[in-house]
Amino acid sequence: MDARFWTTGLTRAAGIVLLLALGCSTKGIQASSSSKSLEEGMAALAQEQPVAEAGEVQGEPAAAAGQAEQLGGEQLGEPVAQQQGLEPEVFVGDLAEEAPFPPPALSGEERVTEEIVVATAQPSEATRQAEEEMREEQRQTAIAGLEDVFFAFDSWRIRDQAKLALSGDAEWLNSNPERSITIAGHCDERGTQAYNLVLGEKRARVVKNYLVELGVNAARLSITSYGKQRPFCDEQNETCYQQNRRAHLVLGAR
Amino acid sequence: MRKTLILSAYLVLGTLGLGLMESDAADVYLEASRPDFQKIPIGVLSFQDGTPGTDHGRRVEEILIADLRRSHVFEVTDLTRLGATLNGEDGANHRLFEQASDKGLAVVVGGHLTSEDADLLLDRYIYDRGSGGLGAPKRYIGRASLLRMMTHRLADELVYRYVGEPGIARTKIAFVSGTGGSRELFVMDYDGYSPRQVTANGLLNISPSWSPKRRFLIYTSYKHRTRQNIEIIELETGKRHTLVSWAGMNITPAFSPDGTQLTFSTTRDGNAEIYKMDMRTRLAKRLTANRAGDLSPSWSPTGRELAFTSDRSGGPQIYLMSADGSHVRRLTFHGKYNAAPAWSPRGNWIAYVCRGRGKFNICLISPDGRKRKTITSGPGIDDSPSWSPDGRHLVFSSTLKGKSHIYMINIDGTGLERLTFGGSHLSFPAWSPA
Repeated sequence: MDARFWTTGLTRAAGIVLLLALGCSTKGIQASSSSKSLEEGMAALAQEQPVAEAGEVQGEPAAAAGQAEQLGGEQLGEPVAQQQGLEPEVFVGDLAEEAPFPPPALSGEERVTEEIVVATAQPSEATRQAEEEMREEQRQTAIAGLEDVFFAFDSWRIRDQAKLALSGDAEWLNSNPERSITIAGHCDERGTQAYNLVLGEKRARVVKNYLVELGVNAARLSITSYGKQRPFCDEQNETCYQQNRRAHLVLGAR
Repeated sequence: MRKTLILSAYLVLGTLGLGLMESDAADVYLEASRPDFQKIPIGVLSFQDGTPGTDHGRRVEEILIADLRRSHVFEVTDLTRLGATLNGEDGANHRLFEQASDKGLAVVVGGHLTSEDADLLLDRYIYDRGSGGLGAPKRYIGRASLLRMMTHRLADELVYRYVGEPGIARTKIAFVSGTGGSRELFVMDYDGYSPRQVTANGLLNISPSWSPKRRFLIYTSYKHRTRQNIEIIELETGKRHTLVSWAGMNITPAFSPDGTQLTFSTTRDGNAEIYKMDMRTRLAKRLTANRAGDLSPSWSPTGRELAFTSDRSGGPQIYLMSADGSHVRRLTFHGKYNAAPAWSPRGNWIAYVCRGRGKFNICLISPDGRKRKTITSGPGIDDSPSWSPDGRHLVFSSTLKGKSHIYMINIDGTGLERLTFGGSHLSFPAWSPA
């Protein structure tokens, strides 16, 4: 029933207006919730039907973004559809209308075909270069630049031992001001993949903040997290777990 | 009235299919998960092989029996040794089916396989004790390489006939596997067969999730060391498109049940927060706002609410909120580590990863928090539970046997089944819609 809600133009319009209204009133959104912006939301909505053409008309997404700003929303994504070949309107159209489950025939003949055909994605020319750079960065990750920082289970608190390592790192960074680093958060294999991504990010962030406190320019420090995707060891014991609960400092290219 | 319809379903085979198609499918759908639902006794006769020199017939029997058992709709009796289902040139051996049903079976299915050029012809006969006869025959035709799929279709036809649901035998499971610094997306059949590689860029591609019509996967890809984008890929063509590329991590994407909204978590604000993006307007709205990590949004089947993980109380716990970000309340209070919620397609359970005595297992909790149970007990780390579209099974990753692999389990904790044996670092299973 809810799915149907979105499928008729009229109710869809009402729904989105409601959504926009809610967007203006929710905390954390700096909305200039004037009635004018709501009207513009309505105007944007009136243009909703030709969304399928948005991919072709380059000027349109920018205009939509302007309105989004006023409404406290935000335009997402990058126009990389051209690089990849998958036009946004293809999936927008597909997603909006959900087909009901087609009941199987209970007699007669039925030709069976593969219902979900899977093609292996080959990197297109435009993305190949970016991906090669990323692979190079990944290889770099193996090269430890500076002293790493280790954490307790499910914790991102910097322990005293780690403070010692970090003052050494800060000293080196301050005497090599032309170098920048990436701080990568890692976790042991316990816990969930998704939460460990966030935990790793927190570990990287506290290390960054600590280095900034020690006088390193924040612009030279970027952070990331691998969660438990890229362990330093694979054994299931505390020695190995401790090795993997770390913030790994990787020297950037000169 | 519908309850009566379902409970006597196998007694009124002749009219059942039509009746279900005309009734409110959503309501009927719920009935087979009732606690008092009685499994329907079914016998599987031979699918004698009219394709000499092959084991096609035996394989159909094996696949069908496994599918029917997994469906949790049928109580399966293996009758494949009872003899040939054909009676010379006269078609199905009516007497054999009748005798088989005398063993207290409500339904008896059997068939015959032949080949024609490059095709296999799978004739199936269904004897229904309630109506006292063989129903209309049906023939599945397909390339020999599609033998498994043909059999899965037959299994789902039986499920549809008797409980009016799509069945899960033709569904797929997406997952992640890889070595070294790369993790790629794969898709396999729901029983672990026929894995196909989806991405092949040598990067980290994780956290796949399906679009409602199964045409696309959305996932997180490490496009830059310090930026993880949310991408969408069309399975049939392998074409990709970037949906979210904000600075920082953009992770745990999930489509609303109607596919019009995308929720995800992003660290662009300095810590992980949940956002919702309208797929048509591309406007995003922030749903959570606090200094803790908020991630892993999972939609209720109505699209009205979201379950998510947050560590705002210290450790990770499951929370619920309305789809507009209001009415946030904590759902789990038992234990110090509860994460990775997955809302059942029936709405009555939320599966998640719970930690107890140092182990990470799969738990279920009702959305009102009143009912809670642990359904796995392995010593390893269970992760990323994902529901079958019929709401009777979960797929999850586990280090039960050492290395991480993909497992399936019934939601009552029975029927644990390992689905993968090859590959390495298997994780993030995601069951497709039906």
